[in-house]
Amino acid sequence: MITIQKDDVDIGDLIKAAKKHGTGAVVIFDGVVRDDNITEMELEAYQDVAKSELEKIANDAIEQFDLLHVDIIHRIGRLAVGENILIIIVAAGHREEAYNGSRFIIEAIKAGVPIWKKELTKTGGRWVPGEHGHGNPKKF
Amino acid sequence: MKVKVRFFARFRELLGTEIIAEAADRTTFSELIKQVAQKNTEGYDAIFDEHGHFREYVILMRNAKRIDTADAVRSIVADGDDIAVFPPVAGG
Repeated sequence: MITIQKDDVDIGDLIKAAKKHGTGAVVIFDGVVRDDNITEMELEAYQDVAKSELEKIANDAIEQFDLLHVDIIHRIGRLAVGENILIIIVAAGHREEAYNGSRFIIEAIKAGVPIWKKELTKTGGRWVPGEHGHGNPKKF
Repeated sequence: MKVKVRFFARFRELLGTEIIAEAADRTTFSELIKQVAQKNTEGYDAIFDEHGHFREYVILMRNAKRIDTADAVRSIVADGDDIAVFPPVAGG
């Protein structure tokens, strides 16, 4: 499942579904809203482009790390402290491929997928600065 | 001709979500985005520097494909183009 959505998901159900024949390791990345003196976090996405980029990242990871299963669920909308933002489920035959595939996916998402976060505070809000932004696509 | 310009994140707050702009023949991407952004000084200044050049962090897409901001000064928009303008991404 590769999706950008408002609703949360049941991670337990995703883990069960990820255990395909041949699975020896499942790695779960769960990015959550950190309590940095904020009230909520608001997320927005360029949805069509972001979804197709997530699909490409998942396919690249499957190919490079011999993965058996990938789920990426990126949430948008207003989220409270402690809520899930991004869930990545990776299944592989062995732990090395599963860990490496999971790491590849999160770093690729942070580098280029058009999604933005705004931290909302009691006095206003601040956009979270991107880590890799540049107007020259060759830099990505 | 009509061209769609979308802004995201901080640019959206300052300039609006989605604007249908009228573009004259031979209008470049840079000229069109300036034309649309001029309605809000803070929004314009977030995208362009004091020389009218794209700021280093601005990202552009034409019909869901990234384009170099250096090329946007020369490339001509086409009828029905879907242009996105946004700051550095921060997902995950």
